Amino acid sequence: MEIRRYTFIALIIIVLIGVVVVVGKSEVSPGVIIVSMIATTIAVATPLTLGALTGVFCERAGVVNIGIEGMMLASAFFGWFGAIYMNTILKMGAFPSLIIGVIIAVITGGLLGLLHAVLSVTFKVDQIIGGTVINLLAVGISGFLNRQLFFEKGSIFGGQVPHAPGVLPRLHIPLLGDIPVVGTVFEQQPITIAAILLVIITHYVLFYTRWGLRTRAVGEHPRAADTVGINVYRMRYLNVIIGGLIAGLAGAYFTLESVPSFEPLMTNGRGFIALAAMIFGNWSPFGSWAAALVFGAASALQINLQFFRELIPPQWAFFQSSAVVGMVPYILTMLIMTGIIGKTRAPAADGIPYEK
Amino acid sequence: MYKKLYVIVAVLMLATMLLSACAPAAEEKTDCSKAETFCVGLVTDVGKIDDKSFNQSTWEGVKQAESELGAVVQYIETTDSKDYDKNIATFADEKYDVIVTVGFALGEATIAAAKAYPDIKFIGVDQSQSEVIPNLAGLVFPEDKAGFLVGALAAQMSETGKIGAVCGTDAVPAVWRFGEGYRAGAAYIDPAVEVNVVYHSDVGFDKTFTDPEWGKTTAISMIDKGVDVVFGAGGKTGNGALAGAAEKGVFAIGVDSDQYFTVPEAQKVLLSSAMKMLTPGTLELIKMAKEGSFPGGDYLGLAGYAPYHDVESQVPADVKAKMEEIDKALADGSLETGVAPVKPGG
Amino acid sequence: MDKSEPQVKEEKPNAFIRIVKQVGNALLVPLLAVITAMIVGGLVIAGAKGDPFAAYAGLFEGAFGTLRALSETTVWATPYIFAGLAVALAFKGGLFNIGAEGQLALGAVASAWVGYRLPELLGTTIPGAIHLPLTVGAGMLAGAIWGAIPGWLKAKTGAHEVINTIMMNYIALNLVSYLLNGPMKDPDPLNVIARTPLISEGAQIPVIFSKYRFHWGFILALVVAFLVWWLLWKTTLGFEIRTAGSNPDAGKYAGINVSRTIVLTMTLSGMLAGLAGAIEVTALNYRHELGFSQGYGFDAIAIALLGKSHPFGAVVGAILFGAMRNGATRMQFLTQIPVDVISVIQALILLFVAADAIVRFIYRIRAPREQVVLTRGWGK
Repeated sequence: MEIRRYTFIALIIIVLIGVVVVVGKSEVSPGVIIVSMIATTIAVATPLTLGALTGVFCERAGVVNIGIEGMMLASAFFGWFGAIYMNTILKMGAFPSLIIGVIIAVITGGLLGLLHAVLSVTFKVDQIIGGTVINLLAVGISGFLNRQLFFEKGSIFGGQVPHAPGVLPRLHIPLLGDIPVVGTVFEQQPITIAAILLVIITHYVLFYTRWGLRTRAVGEHPRAADTVGINVYRMRYLNVIIGGLIAGLAGAYFTLESVPSFEPLMTNGRGFIALAAMIFGNWSPFGSWAAALVFGAASALQINLQFFRELIPPQWAFFQSSAVVGMVPYILTMLIMTGIIGKTRAPAADGIPYEK
Repeated sequence: MYKKLYVIVAVLMLATMLLSACAPAAEEKTDCSKAETFCVGLVTDVGKIDDKSFNQSTWEGVKQAESELGAVVQYIETTDSKDYDKNIATFADEKYDVIVTVGFALGEATIAAAKAYPDIKFIGVDQSQSEVIPNLAGLVFPEDKAGFLVGALAAQMSETGKIGAVCGTDAVPAVWRFGEGYRAGAAYIDPAVEVNVVYHSDVGFDKTFTDPEWGKTTAISMIDKGVDVVFGAGGKTGNGALAGAAEKGVFAIGVDSDQYFTVPEAQKVLLSSAMKMLTPGTLELIKMAKEGSFPGGDYLGLAGYAPYHDVESQVPADVKAKMEEIDKALADGSLETGVAPVKPGG
Repeated sequence: MDKSEPQVKEEKPNAFIRIVKQVGNALLVPLLAVITAMIVGGLVIAGAKGDPFAAYAGLFEGAFGTLRALSETTVWATPYIFAGLAVALAFKGGLFNIGAEGQLALGAVASAWVGYRLPELLGTTIPGAIHLPLTVGAGMLAGAIWGAIPGWLKAKTGAHEVINTIMMNYIALNLVSYLLNGPMKDPDPLNVIARTPLISEGAQIPVIFSKYRFHWGFILALVVAFLVWWLLWKTTLGFEIRTAGSNPDAGKYAGINVSRTIVLTMTLSGMLAGLAGAIEVTALNYRHELGFSQGYGFDAIAIALLGKSHPFGAVVGAILFGAMRNGATRMQFLTQIPVDVISVIQALILLFVAADAIVRFIYRIRAPREQVVLTRGWGK
């Protein structure tokens, strides 16, 4: 079953790339298109993958998290702010500033994870509310501070946005990176690489360690877990905080790895797409990653179809509109979701506060 | 029953808070109805005042009026298009002398307000006027000319014969004119040059100019396919494209203002910027309003291309000469861009 | 809340006093929560070198200070009430409708289309008595369809409604952008905005005051809130929705067709969101314009939660949110404090209302006996 799903997802990605190759081959060589499509796919998938992993950690432990979006947005802001502060006021140099920025982003995510845990585990607040609070709070705090700290009155940088320290550099991976043409695919920035590693690590931790077993136990059957001596509250707290830390890394991707600037609302709903990717991937790390990649490939298709707009045959003229092509990733997700994946199964105790 | 007490306590607390809150705020307000105070208010479109794009550039013009003319200045950010009238009325009811509204979307609201408040001068940025209302000046720019200029520049500087543009949504006429001007300018130099213009029309109005990550991804995707000059036209989305060009080491072209100063990370590859002089245009009109020489109808601002800065040495002399020639021809009307002012419907 | 409840339970003696007490108790904690949130929010403002007193004064003045301010608050609250009801109804049925945003936008577009295009197609003006219901109905229908699809997919294939409502938000967004820039764009040669033409007069809900924007939509919203309450607690369908929401297995044993109920709940929920869009078009803007409706669907989630998924609670939450969004302009005008601070205060209010344990702890109030289940997470 699992194999069938993954084969299918791989096929879809190949078809998506194939469409662009067919449309654009008269202008650009297929090799170049494929490499470019893969690069875009990976770039779009990175924050989605990390966001989905956040969800996996929280929900496997039985805590629903719809605050991924807010966690990413707040982390993106504070990480960026930290990096600029280190670079401009403390004059630390670009690279150390970026590293500290990433650390601040990750901590921000962790703190919001802690907030979510306090609300949903200790106070037993409806978990949807905890997430909604985080989403609203992140929009408000990041927008408010961004204005207050960088614009006119109250600006600590004298009204001008100071120079950002740039973005994290691409890493050259020996051997893989030396392959001609395809090699560039492996030259990625650290958070992108970390995202892929985290998928593997999360899979291992969840399914092959005692920690993972306990996490799944408190998510599936907290009462039973409690009886055998697992501290349900502690496991939930720690997993939600770990999830928050990962969301923080996803936030850092936006302002420290992708582009060196912060924009109010810049996460643009990707936290919700990550949530969808997690459900789509049936609450598993590899499933989530596959879903994120499908979405990435569909986005790459959208960008590339616009690029090759003039080459789209006239009977398909409808697809020359960027808004029409813009629907493609979402329609595809729905089709795959309902047609192939169908029913997914959440951890049994997901969303239910545990009462001792 | 003691719970009732809590209700009373709570209501009292709320009341005292509100009372103490109301007291100090009242006195600090400047009275704009006095003849000697010159007040200028700005209403943004659904974008933000610090968008590093047209709202901010216009606001900088208003701020210059504060320092140069001693004006009292204030802004209101619109969060929903249904509030345009209300936000303009907020200034008008406080007897502001000049009200600046930013963006074509406020066009009708501004016209209505100008008719309702004939004593107040209105400046509509990016709002073309079909009839002349004496107290309303539409500050408009020939973006297609600026786009044409940088398109011509891009076509001359490209070695691969492929150039690209990453734009905000083409539903905004100014963006459309930039993008299509760019296309026309490149075609003017060499019709064989391949021009890829990508618009970010697949997200809402509030997102289309503030999606740098998309801008960068799109730019890199273009560059991977051989594009070696990228024009980023659309607020932060465009800035993301410039960052992508900088990362890949190909030429970038900015928009609106000289982006050498606003996107520092792209300085080493920034070829030029397609400029519309929002800040001086706004200040000019405010000055006219103060001096009593306010022009009704359309007021044409300046558009052009920015200096080459760091890449000065890489631009051949004949290209520079050609650019000056095109600039002159566009200015005196002997050369036309052929771009329709608005994207044809359909 | 205090308006309608006495009417319903009036047949019982001394019910009135009991209800006053109940309402008082029910409002005490939320009121304290709002105050606590304002105090914490004030600290945030002060921490960023703003004057919280001036800010709140401006906020209050802008929301309730004048007749116009009051009227504008209702204008803001109207779509919030409809959308909040949409989300609350779905919550009651155990479903999470994140898609109110898309349903609302599509409802607005459909209404606008029937409003301006139908007379053109028929080549004649349609009397208002027919045209107006058709226009509003089209918006409701579009929203209903947009809500029904994820519901149907869930019932048939088990595909999760959270994914599908999110995806359909983006599809709606793109569809609306395509329509307003293309086939439905106002053909007036002077028009540069992505918007539809004005709807014809017969499709417009007449204004009440010429000076104020207060419109019939607000009153309709209150009526609809009552209807939703009636549906949920006084009808069989409502019982089925609530049972399917709180305990689907029990529902199955009780002979409820859970699949059918899921589809119906999502359809009704989408319809309410579509109605929000239809009313914005027919009672306020008389056209649909891109750039309108930003985050109504997401605010609606907070509003429904704030109202504890109860229709009347959603009304209170919607008015509170509407007042804050409306007052924010005045606050910014007077103090230049960015409007984003409103989101912070709203988050805090939701936090303290939801986590009433915190508020009860601060103000030493005993907890009530029974707890209400709001949402059920993803569950099944």
